[in-house]
Amino acid sequence: MAPLLDVKDLHVGFKIFEGYLSVLNGVELTLEEGERVGLVGETGCGKTTTVKSILRVLPMPPARIAGGEIFYRDNDILKMKRREIQSLHRSELTAIFQDPLMSLNPVFTIGTQLRDIVKDSLGASGKKLTKKEIFARCIEALKETGMPDPERIMSNYPIQLSGGMRQRVCIAEALSTTAQLLLADEPTTNLDVTIQDQILRKLDELVDEKNVTVVMITHSLGVVMDLTQRLYIMYAGTMVEEGKTEELFARPLHPYGQGLMKSVPKLTGDGVSDGIPGHIPNYLDPPAGCRFEPRCEHTMPICQTEKPPLFNVENGRHVACFLYRS
Amino acid sequence: MREQLKADLLATLKHKRRGFAKDWYKFSRNPLSVLGLVVLILIVFAAILAPYITPYPGHAKPYTNFKDAGFPPSATHFFGTDRVGRDIFSRVIFGYRFSLMIGVVVLSLGVAPGVILGLIAGYYQGTWIETVIMRITDIFLAVPPLVLALAITAMLTPNLTNQMMAIALVWWPWYSRLLFALASSLRNEYFVREAELTGASRMHILFKEILPNCLAPVMTKITLDMGIVILLGATLSFIGLGVQPPKPGLGTMVAEGSKRLPGEWWGTIFPALAIVVVILAFNLVGDGLRDVFAVEEV
Amino acid sequence: MADTILVVDKLKKYFPTKRGTVKAVDNISFSVATGETIGLVGESGSGKTTTAQCVIGIYPPTDGEILFKGQTISKAFSKRPKALKRDIRIVFQDPGSSLNPKRSIKQILSVPLKVHHMTTNKDHLVMIKNLLDMVELPADEYMYKYPQAIGGGEKQMVAIARALATNPSMVLLDEPTSALDVSVQGKIINLLIRLRKELDLTYLFITHDLSLTRNVAGRVAIMYLGKLCEIAPTVEFFQNPTHPYTKMLLSSIPVVSVEEKALKPTKITSRGEIPSPVKVPPGCSFHSRCPEKMDICTKVDPVMVEIGEGHVTRCHLYQGTKVAASIEQEEEVYAQDPMDQSNSDG
Repeated sequence: MAPLLDVKDLHVGFKIFEGYLSVLNGVELTLEEGERVGLVGETGCGKTTTVKSILRVLPMPPARIAGGEIFYRDNDILKMKRREIQSLHRSELTAIFQDPLMSLNPVFTIGTQLRDIVKDSLGASGKKLTKKEIFARCIEALKETGMPDPERIMSNYPIQLSGGMRQRVCIAEALSTTAQLLLADEPTTNLDVTIQDQILRKLDELVDEKNVTVVMITHSLGVVMDLTQRLYIMYAGTMVEEGKTEELFARPLHPYGQGLMKSVPKLTGDGVSDGIPGHIPNYLDPPAGCRFEPRCEHTMPICQTEKPPLFNVENGRHVACFLYRS
Repeated sequence: MREQLKADLLATLKHKRRGFAKDWYKFSRNPLSVLGLVVLILIVFAAILAPYITPYPGHAKPYTNFKDAGFPPSATHFFGTDRVGRDIFSRVIFGYRFSLMIGVVVLSLGVAPGVILGLIAGYYQGTWIETVIMRITDIFLAVPPLVLALAITAMLTPNLTNQMMAIALVWWPWYSRLLFALASSLRNEYFVREAELTGASRMHILFKEILPNCLAPVMTKITLDMGIVILLGATLSFIGLGVQPPKPGLGTMVAEGSKRLPGEWWGTIFPALAIVVVILAFNLVGDGLRDVFAVEEV
Repeated sequence: MADTILVVDKLKKYFPTKRGTVKAVDNISFSVATGETIGLVGESGSGKTTTAQCVIGIYPPTDGEILFKGQTISKAFSKRPKALKRDIRIVFQDPGSSLNPKRSIKQILSVPLKVHHMTTNKDHLVMIKNLLDMVELPADEYMYKYPQAIGGGEKQMVAIARALATNPSMVLLDEPTSALDVSVQGKIINLLIRLRKELDLTYLFITHDLSLTRNVAGRVAIMYLGKLCEIAPTVEFFQNPTHPYTKMLLSSIPVVSVEEKALKPTKITSRGEIPSPVKVPPGCSFHSRCPEKMDICTKVDPVMVEIGEGHVTRCHLYQGTKVAASIEQEEEVYAQDPMDQSNSDG
């Protein structure tokens, strides 16, 4: 069966004063229906650029799509016209972002915003919903996210709610439609850890119930561990490793993945590793071969000249590293 | 140690130069702003070198030659002659001297006190210092600038000096308000707190920490203000309270020439156009500056 | 036994606002020994940052005392002696705004050096170079750069160099790595640990990240809505957490390995919202979310109780044991067992 989302060899860059930022360097991402996939990477690795490319919300003058395709069910998103993309967003593709205060319009009540989204939905008999039905749907959507006192929330403004509640509103907005694919870009990074825990568990329940495919993008490894079945690790605009979440955590293969796992402070108290020496490459003048090569302790001559493709290591495990060249 | 200081200076300059190159690039992306800058540079040079480059420099001083009076624009008199025979083109170039001087002097007089007062008021926001400074600012802002300038020049002798002082008096409050807004929001930034906690002196905090972050809006405003101040000066001259005839103030020339409209139109139109051109040039440069200082996001 | 360098005694900091009084810090007491790293942990609204701000002098306390090296310092920085400003320093959370974007690194580091006359004019540049070396940044390259040109981790290292420029005794670290990527965090943390040993510093390490605390701090103090919930030495804390909020915090931490999962208390899962600091619930402020709430908890605010060596907790579940020694004198007072007086279900 065709994958729900298939990003093939995506190259995206930005033209700025100093030159051309070659950010995405051949991004590959595949998603089957019903899957929960994580995308992990640090600041500047290009994960938000990837999300924005899929959603086609990149500011096109500085940004430029230099190559590749993004197939949503056999249709190349990059070739779609505005109308098609809008209808896609309305019915199938949805997203939640890091800062709910940015995603919600501060001058409208929650109710107004939710109603706007639900208004286009159709009722059971295929007719447009009445005002009462729309309201009921909104309340239901809010209740599903575990929001206390949804009726009161409907008449509140975003600024009156706490961070966690705002994010719940965003989740309600995203999942109240017939969405098939949810892109969650750092949805809980700004939240307190006890609230984050609640939101993630609720999200887990909801996507299960509604059978929504999820891409969870974050820099926090701990968050993806419980929530996802498969995981991509991204570095400097490329996918460097991919595989089942459990296996990746137990045995990361790519040197960057290994460094990352070691860097996370553990509850077991083994001290903090020094992290990964060096820094992300300058996108104005990135390395010609493997972009992680300058920081890698296993570097070989070929790493400097050729970009490693995603080698198939074991069943379903891919690593973009010449160490694993079969 | 001398070597060290020299190396230090060189490195600092190198970094500043790189920053300037980037600013120029941003500015030069606006062709209109570059045009404005070129025109402005031409005007400034022309005004400075007026005695040497104008065909009839003597016409800027008291001069009459009724034989040549009232001629339309021609090859010998680009802008024609006025009713007493003076070459309008030369007088316009000399007129720019007054206009530019008004702008420079007024802003020199008005900006500095406004900036300092606003800076202090912003830093001491919430205390009586802020209240006193900003209420005085409010009072000055409440008076229409033209009316106040009129009143002052009417009370004193109408001449260029008094005109400049009058305009400066109404100009400083705008800077006070601008700096107040900027400084009061900056004073809560972490780097300002850090300087306070370290024990740095108030002077250091105001002028070395807060002020550098306010320069961008101030410079943009100064550039745009030049145009408005020049216009205000020309207006005062037009109604007889600024540059007095026979001196070639642009506004004065417009007034003189207006008595001959519409027949001898060149007496009014060319000085008026000269005013428009210089104001437009400043505005275009100001727009470009705004782009230079705009924070970019990639 | 190491000396006590910092004593916080019944500290209160209230902010009057239009919607009511925000009790950011509400009667907390703890002490810090010279040379230790104490972790102050809490979520938003806990008061941990406000506590640090009172210690460093951004705010004067509403009530209570702060003693540094035996001297009272409970005033705002404008009233503090200069020598004190040299001795306690702070590193802020957001490296992006703690460095003036219009000043070069060299100029930024000059400020504390000049204010406290740390160098003569001759040695000025050398001293700055030394500071940059200390935080492992190549001096020649970085001195003339402006903050926008360097990464978040490097900015934070400059902030640390700036804090240490005056040879302080104590450094407050307000979430120093929260804004940074995990691969950069380790370097900064290890740098801080190394510097503490080399320069004989004491750290008050504020964070919301318990995994980090586990690896950095010798003692942990948890705050919730302006009050302290539990203080304990690190190992004891993670092995034997007692306060329900502590357990809720621990169970919410995202972890990356199976071994860590085993360490988390699974019985308490997070629920409820953090109440607004203007409307703090009466009695024990945590009762609205506490799975082990009893009737007494809605009426009476619990007192700190010692339940082990250096381990204190503030919860009605543990009343009836010795009340924690007060800071100034070693007093042993037996708390009245509130269970006797109320008709509660145990």
